[in-house]
Amino acid sequence: MRSSSASAAVGVEDEGMTMRLRVRAFVPMIAVVLALSTPIAAHHGDAAYADKPMEMKGCVVTEFDWMNPHSLIKFDYKTATGEVQKWTMEIGSPPSMTLLGWSRTTLRAGDVITAYVYQAKSGVKVGRTNKVILADGTVLADRDDSTPSRYGAEPPK
Amino acid sequence: MAVALAAGVFASTLLIAQAPSQARQAKSPWVYYPLDTIEGDGGPAPKRDLSGTWAGPGSTDAIPRGAAAERPSLTPLGQQVLSQRKPIGRFGPAGTNDPSARFCDPLGFPLNFIYQNRAMSVSTMPNRVVFLLQFGGFWREVWTDGRALPTKVGGDDRESLDPTYMGYSVGRWEVDYNFVIDTTGLDERTWLLRDGTPHSVMAHVQERWTRVDHNTMKVAMTIDDPKMFTKPFSLGTYFYRWVPNQKINEWLCVPSETLKYLQEQGDPAGSYPDAQQQRLGGGGRGR
Repeated sequence: MRSSSASAAVGVEDEGMTMRLRVRAFVPMIAVVLALSTPIAAHHGDAAYADKPMEMKGCVVTEFDWMNPHSLIKFDYKTATGEVQKWTMEIGSPPSMTLLGWSRTTLRAGDVITAYVYQAKSGVKVGRTNKVILADGTVLADRDDSTPSRYGAEPPK
Repeated sequence: MAVALAAGVFASTLLIAQAPSQARQAKSPWVYYPLDTIEGDGGPAPKRDLSGTWAGPGSTDAIPRGAAAERPSLTPLGQQVLSQRKPIGRFGPAGTNDPSARFCDPLGFPLNFIYQNRAMSVSTMPNRVVFLLQFGGFWREVWTDGRALPTKVGGDDRESLDPTYMGYSVGRWEVDYNFVIDTTGLDERTWLLRDGTPHSVMAHVQERWTRVDHNTMKVAMTIDDPKMFTKPFSLGTYFYRWVPNQKINEWLCVPSETLKYLQEQGDPAGSYPDAQQQRLGGGGRGR
């Protein structure tokens, strides 16, 4: 599922076959929709994590590690019974997350966020996230498909 | 068409809302702006020149996806080595024995060009072409002074050269737009493909780079390695697109950060082999 585009096309000879590379205008609608749904497979695969996310509101950030291969967000989460749980969740690497609007200073200790967490199947309190909502309502996605079309061409059909 | 345009404007607004800091700031020559794009072919390809900075197959979906690697026909030795490897994808970070994932070991050639080549610069020098890779900050020299490939690498005799992560490479132009590179002497600790497919030190990899037009470049790769495979096979085809401002971000594997990641996230999460066969080569992205 890719962005649709109306555009000029150039022919590229590829092993005797003409491959049409569509040069698309910047139309990331579908990508943005996808950005709010499921996470893309990380470089290491997602087999260790649950298939469905948990919505966790009122998470208090305690640490934001902007690092490779995956940045980590650590936060405290208060359950319905008042228990404060300590969680760690991963996002992408700094260069890939930069493309999605994240930066080293996106989160600071004390920030209150809503996190969508795919918990590890092992049952420990670590997970992956595909979306974080900041206190001001800003939605930050973790999905490469929402990266805008920087280089013009679309994958050939 | 009008609906598509309106949807595009709406979507663009959404995207900008997701990146407020970028929208507010004046542009800096030091910052990478993903909204800067190129369109079209940029005109005809220059002759005998791959120079420039290129977005690679691992960067965004905007890069056309090429042909995947063929499935190799392994020798008994190749099968034996492969059976001992636990690749990322079928195993999580906690369960893999991929040396790049566990220890930040270099991917080496050709995997650095197959799996993680998100961007690179190419520089032409009088006697060589140099590839400068974003992922890992590695470089690779391809000699164009007419020398032959070494015939002794990794052997026990004193004349034998050391194996290297990027191997020994020589290149030549076939007509004005096809640059052919032959490489051997590859360190056997590196994996040929992400699934752990092995190679021997005297594997022979051939790349055929084509400057399609000013803004597009592609490469087809093949390998011949009788020690590990019963016949040569294709490692896939990969596309590259011109980066307009020639700026790419640093992208390193930092051992201390990887250790922290594994201790605090990867290992506690555990590893659940999903046994799904991966598409190998041809582009597509990780994170």
